[in-house]
Amino acid sequence: MLLIQQIINGVMLGSVYVTMAVAFTLTIGVLNFLNFTIPTLFMLAGMGAWALTAKGVPIIGAPLIPVVIAPIIAIVTTIAASLIVERFTFRYLKMKYGDSTEHAIPLVSSLGFLLIIENLVRIAYGTDPQRFTALEADFTFDIAGLMIRVPQLASLMISIGIVFAVNRALNHSRIGRGLRAVAENPDAANLLGVEANKLVPVIFMLTGLLCGLAGILFAMNYGEVSPQMGEDIGSKAIAGMVIGGLGSIWGAVIGGLIIGVAEMLTIHLFGADTVQVVVWGLLLVMLFFRPQGLLGHNSIGKGKL
Amino acid sequence: MLLEIRDLDVRYARTHAVKSANLDIKEGEIVTVLGANGAGKTSLLRALQGAVKPAGGKIRFAGEDITHMSPADRVRRGMMLVPEGRQIFVSMTVHENLLMGAYLRQDGDWVRDLKEVYERFPNLANRRDMKASTLSGGEQQMLAIGRALVSRPRLVMLDEPSLGLSPLFVNNLFELITQLNRDGITILLVEQNTGMALEVAARGYVLELGSVVLSGTSTDLSQNSALAEAYLGGGHAKTSQTA
Repeated sequence: MLLIQQIINGVMLGSVYVTMAVAFTLTIGVLNFLNFTIPTLFMLAGMGAWALTAKGVPIIGAPLIPVVIAPIIAIVTTIAASLIVERFTFRYLKMKYGDSTEHAIPLVSSLGFLLIIENLVRIAYGTDPQRFTALEADFTFDIAGLMIRVPQLASLMISIGIVFAVNRALNHSRIGRGLRAVAENPDAANLLGVEANKLVPVIFMLTGLLCGLAGILFAMNYGEVSPQMGEDIGSKAIAGMVIGGLGSIWGAVIGGLIIGVAEMLTIHLFGADTVQVVVWGLLLVMLFFRPQGLLGHNSIGKGKL
Repeated sequence: MLLEIRDLDVRYARTHAVKSANLDIKEGEIVTVLGANGAGKTSLLRALQGAVKPAGGKIRFAGEDITHMSPADRVRRGMMLVPEGRQIFVSMTVHENLLMGAYLRQDGDWVRDLKEVYERFPNLANRRDMKASTLSGGEQQMLAIGRALVSRPRLVMLDEPSLGLSPLFVNNLFELITQLNRDGITILLVEQNTGMALEVAARGYVLELGSVVLSGTSTDLSQNSALAEAYLGGGHAKTSQTA
């Protein structure tokens, strides 16, 4: 029974990884670049929502924002931050130096943004984790002896819902088709009049939305935020994405859930110290036997959605 | 004049792919551009669609200077390149590929144009919801041309459409090209299949190492025996068996 409980907890935790793994997948699939700002955007939403309720609007200091509104402002801020990152890493540097085959520059500059934003938050609010209990509405219900926490269930449903929505938009909208065309064959898309530089901000907006949501859901579930909260979650989301298969949205979903369950089971069976060994060991085993991941295409990193 | 190309230069890092080329295409014509591998035919077409920036010269389409326009603006004005190797989206269905041809259409009429494409290519209609990767080479070429037609082009540029097709399909293809022309579409056809190209085209240009070295009516060009030997690497004699 305890084992089943751990699996349920793992699925709930996995939903946070799922949301972020999908964000990573979108940028890799369409732009063929690993966006390192994703963990920071996740943190920005969580810390932002906390700061707005506990410390008030940054710089001005007041007023304290009600807990119902703060998450929405935090998510909008995260989307805006993601667009700023796009403007000053991807678009500017690519226009100036890179051609379509140059991926190192956006990658390194996104890493720069990661460190800058994270440290700005540290300077403003310190490195200590902050209790963020306001969001932690702890309703629990009990099904046949299994404890299901309402916020976790809600976050699982919101995660899966948003992934469905993103997937549907990619498959059934004009912009979605344009993005898939750019992902598969940028040259052919260009010849048909698809303007990639107009579509790239859409990817960054979705990235901001997904990370913002994940950050808030995480805060809701664990009642704690910190400037470094994105690092661990972000790296596990990357592991989940690779296990599920690069470039596949449903792969990211499955991979994220696998990591969540593996993490909870490891804690249950061997203790918290062994989590990283198991998660990254799982990744290495997967890369060894099935480098394309569970649902991935045959070649790693080939831009496809 | 629908398309006027004046002193067009295309350069890559180390190569001068097109050297001050001058070509004219009148509305309603089929014009072919011939030349051996590496003569600059593909570079010429890519510069015409805006996929590569010309190093010099001017391109005018329907009287308007389009030299510095984006590919999208050229598509909006009615230019459409069917690239070498078809370049269909294999991860999409047949229908989605065709919708990509209508990507920039703002008017509602594209629905009718799409229907016409399905009527023209019943094979595509039958495979509407199948992945484009499951189509045969010939069907993929039809899909690439169909996708171009959904944009309702005035000028269709075809880059080696017969490449890799069976002889039977090559005949169908050239039949289709004349049909499209009869329906009012101007065609710029780049081919290595010289014999077939000169059969359907009214006029032709011969490129060699980036320069236009010969031009004239198809009859003149096909009677020019020097052409076959000097510029097409004996391609004229070979054409009957190419495909």
